[in-house]
Amino acid sequence: MRATTTTVASEPIPGATDSGPVQQRPRANTRRRSFSGLGYLMPSLIVLAVVIVAPIGMSAYFSLTDYSLLGEPQWAGLQNYGDLLSDTGFRQAMWQTFVYTVISVPLQTVLALVIAAVIARRLRNRFGGFIRSALFIPVIAAMVIIGSVWRYLLGTEDGLVNSILGLVGINNVNWLGEATTALIVVALVTVWKNIGYFLVIYYAGMLDIPEDLYEASSIDGAGGVRQFWSITVPSLRPVTFLVVILGTIWSFQVFDLVYAMTGGGPGGGTVTLVMAIYNTGFENMQMGYASAMAMVLFVIVFLVSFTQRVLLSRK
Amino acid sequence: MLHRTVQITVNTALLLLVVAALLPFAFMVLTGIQESTTVSLAFDPAKLQLDNFVRLFTEYQFGRALVTSAVVVVLACVVNLVVSSLAAYAFAKKPFPGSEALFWVYIATMMVPVQVTIIPLFLIVRDLGLLNTPVALILPIINAFGVFLIRQFMSSVPDELLEAARIDGAKDLRIFAAIVLPLIKPVLIALTVFTFITAWNDFLWPLVVISDESMQTVTLAAARLQGRFLTDYGLVMAGATVSFLVPFLIYLFLQRRFVQGVASIGLKG
Repeated sequence: MRATTTTVASEPIPGATDSGPVQQRPRANTRRRSFSGLGYLMPSLIVLAVVIVAPIGMSAYFSLTDYSLLGEPQWAGLQNYGDLLSDTGFRQAMWQTFVYTVISVPLQTVLALVIAAVIARRLRNRFGGFIRSALFIPVIAAMVIIGSVWRYLLGTEDGLVNSILGLVGINNVNWLGEATTALIVVALVTVWKNIGYFLVIYYAGMLDIPEDLYEASSIDGAGGVRQFWSITVPSLRPVTFLVVILGTIWSFQVFDLVYAMTGGGPGGGTVTLVMAIYNTGFENMQMGYASAMAMVLFVIVFLVSFTQRVLLSRK
Repeated sequence: MLHRTVQITVNTALLLLVVAALLPFAFMVLTGIQESTTVSLAFDPAKLQLDNFVRLFTEYQFGRALVTSAVVVVLACVVNLVVSSLAAYAFAKKPFPGSEALFWVYIATMMVPVQVTIIPLFLIVRDLGLLNTPVALILPIINAFGVFLIRQFMSSVPDELLEAARIDGAKDLRIFAAIVLPLIKPVLIALTVFTFITAWNDFLWPLVVISDESMQTVTLAAARLQGRFLTDYGLVMAGATVSFLVPFLIYLFLQRRFVQGVASIGLKG
């Protein structure tokens, strides 16, 4: 399955350079055939138009209005964007989303890479398979459920985390009670959840590295660590790129975990960009202002994934 | 000798990682099946009971939430499969003038996060009178990712095969259903598994479009428990357990499909 995907991915879009049977047919027939594909596309075109394309346009429009859901949107020009610049709450949310990303993305990338390398180089057996399966379990659980389970485990009095730390003499830390530690803890729980996902992506990438490279370097006397730095890491550069981009995009979209773990608190210390959008739009009913925030999120995510597309297609 | 020590250290470290990954779930279940109103690590067999689960179903409508989630998930999977595979067929095997450009538009829509469109989408759903309905819940689950994934695999089906069937007199739709679909079954299953988990675990969108408690999904019901009972940990963890159980069981049965799906995302670039 993996092999198929790789070859297919590099193929041009079929039909673009097709030759042979199609061209030999009578012209009328070609035309009939060539547009019949559109019919198959219709259901998905309609859904995407209603769910994504129209809403993006509407979002852009609403972001230029005052809209409270009660009346009609009132044109406001760039007012909302101007307000965003001086809005300390929004600036705080942006900063916290940034900090959360900077903590979680490098950590989950490095850990997933190292664990995948250990399993792929040393444990290509049942034990390795078991570890991959087990580490994948946090991936399949809903973020909001993980949030409430960790909130419970981090509970101050006798929670699991404090009890374990108590064994080494660290006394009850109020993990979610301080803004700084709460943000760090939320980022660490994200790492805990994402490792299994990126581990699988890395592992698949590692199976594509030719075994000869490792054999040759072994003959030259290179050890495991040396091989990791000189063969594994460089060969996986495109995969690392994907993992970092995906992780960054996900970070900027975080909501469920924060909602369940801290509700944005304490004192707004864990409010992220999407939580700010949700609160502004659905709690305060400022749909126009919330749409302006959504457009900021759109631009960030679009730029990040666009960079990925451009850099990867250049390869 | 040294090699052996390294091996043992590495294996121990990996086992510790496994413990770290699974321990929270173990405590979730343990807390759910115990009589506990406080956070407690003590496991007392005498306190074992299923009272929390009974309360979930009798007082907090978890039975109904399970049905809603099941309906939503099945609908989402079927609609996504049909819509995406038809579109992928058009892109892979029935190109028309402009289809290449249109495919790029599809890829571009994959870069739009749901959170960006949530406000207008909420207004559209409200104006269509779909708030508090399963249809509203499945809408944002259908996206271009399925089309993209299936198209990749369909391109590997040889054109000669379709041409041969065409010469035998088979119509397009028949070729699609009888030849192409069976050949790409693995990716169809992988997409189904993905859609399933996404739909089951979805939270922000249900939170926005479902206000009626009789229409809430399991995830939503579990999260609302926490909001209501910050200290009734047994009940909250029982709710989390119920919500987690379905994806977990599916994972146990279809592990390889999950891994294939994730791995192919990695390679698609």
